Amino acid sequence: MIVKREELTFAERLYLPEIFRGMSITFAKLFKKKITRQYPEQPLPTNEVTRGQPRLVVKDDDNIACVSCGLCEAACPAYAITIDGHETSRFIEREPERFEIDFLRCILCGFCEEACPKDAIFMSDELELADYDRQSLVWGIDQLKRPKASLQKRIDYVYSLNDRWRKPSSTS
Amino acid sequence: MSEILIWIVKIAVIYGGLVGTAAAMSLAERKVSAWMQYRIGPNRVGPFGLLQPIADGIKFIFKEELVPDGANKLLFRLAPAMAAFPAMLTIAVIPFGPTVTIAGHEVNLSIADLDIGILFVLAVGGLSIYGVILGGWASNSKYSLLGSLRASAQMISYELSMILAILAVVVLTGSLDLQQIVASQATIGQWNVFHQPLAFVLFVIATFAETNRHPFDFAECEPELVAGFHTEYSSMRFALFFLGEYCAMTVMACLTVTLFLGGYSVPFAPEAHWAIGVLAFAVKTAFFLFLFLWVRWTLPRLRFDQLMRLGWKVMLPLALVNILVTGIAVSLGVELW
Repeated sequence: MIVKREELTFAERLYLPEIFRGMSITFAKLFKKKITRQYPEQPLPTNEVTRGQPRLVVKDDDNIACVSCGLCEAACPAYAITIDGHETSRFIEREPERFEIDFLRCILCGFCEEACPKDAIFMSDELELADYDRQSLVWGIDQLKRPKASLQKRIDYVYSLNDRWRKPSSTS
Repeated sequence: MSEILIWIVKIAVIYGGLVGTAAAMSLAERKVSAWMQYRIGPNRVGPFGLLQPIADGIKFIFKEELVPDGANKLLFRLAPAMAAFPAMLTIAVIPFGPTVTIAGHEVNLSIADLDIGILFVLAVGGLSIYGVILGGWASNSKYSLLGSLRASAQMISYELSMILAILAVVVLTGSLDLQQIVASQATIGQWNVFHQPLAFVLFVIATFAETNRHPFDFAECEPELVAGFHTEYSSMRFALFFLGEYCAMTVMACLTVTLFLGGYSVPFAPEAHWAIGVLAFAVKTAFFLFLFLWVRWTLPRLRFDQLMRLGWKVMLPLALVNILVTGIAVSLGVELW
């Protein structure tokens, strides 16, 4: 293949006019609107589609719905979830004694949310993840609990997604 | 006694101003580059990030200092100082104002009013190459050596055209004394930039090459040579290289103003108070300092052969022709422009 190289005109070969043209462009940019987002003060907008860190939903009766079935633990591709269950006098008969998510392992895939048969775990819009040591990023039940109201949008969104498959008219 | 006191105050003010300008330039560089790229730039330290240079300085002091194995320890430690001191020395002869009377004392607003100021600037400025070449060689690193090799070749090539450009001004003025060169440009019509436009352009281009700034920053050349001659440097020694670069830029801007833009002369008001003259000098210098940043964030780096071609086959012949024409015109007593 023959590449045709364009000959520069005399004005271009002088360079200076082109340099001034370039400089006028950069000078105009000085006063343009800045697009930097000042992150901690101006956080990223999040919505119900945002898949942040998973949280345990606290129902209206102040309990979490988890029955420590271990499905999320099994579904988790990063082995981030650890559950130990024990008996409870509540109607559900079993509840987690220990429910830990290691956020250094969690990859925010949302499989736990999909796997959960009791709608106990949902992805929140919380994304910030920084601490001074590893152990403090392994969160237990008390840290994971979130009131239902704060996760309501996500819950509705997931229900609406799953409804597509629940409808009898839906194909496959 | 008061003589010595005046000297000490002058030295303190001018060197404080120089280092302060260098510090401000380190912030200005980041701010201007940010603005030209739709960014905000440093804004966390102090109001609008104005204390950033202080934070940087403190950081540099506390950083670990590494001397690579196999480096020539003495020269490695000497080079940053060698890079910084010529610029700091040449500021001594720049006239910031005329001889004025403050509280009954005659004060010359330059540290040293030499008869051969220009010669002094060129002689001492020529030493700045040693900092670069010693730093690159003493590091015992390929990148450093390549960077300093290129830089020294470039600085020598461009020093030639710079001197010839200055020579045209000297021929026109008939003096090597910077005070007299400024005095000969009292009104805006007498500014050398209008009488020697070619020399002005050549000189400005050469100052970019002399201070190793874009588009001639072959000493550093980040994408090719990591950081060129200061690849192996860390901590305060690295900062000294930067200080030297910014001081050299400041001095070059001062020199451009002195030689071509009438120094401290106020346009359209030759009888203005000397303080306004000093202010005018600062404003003109600030413009040229901004020009350094402006060009840096506009132009890409030249290729090395392009750089050499520009230096030897374009700038040098132009400077020589300029000298010839100026010489003939002056000897015949003809006003060129």
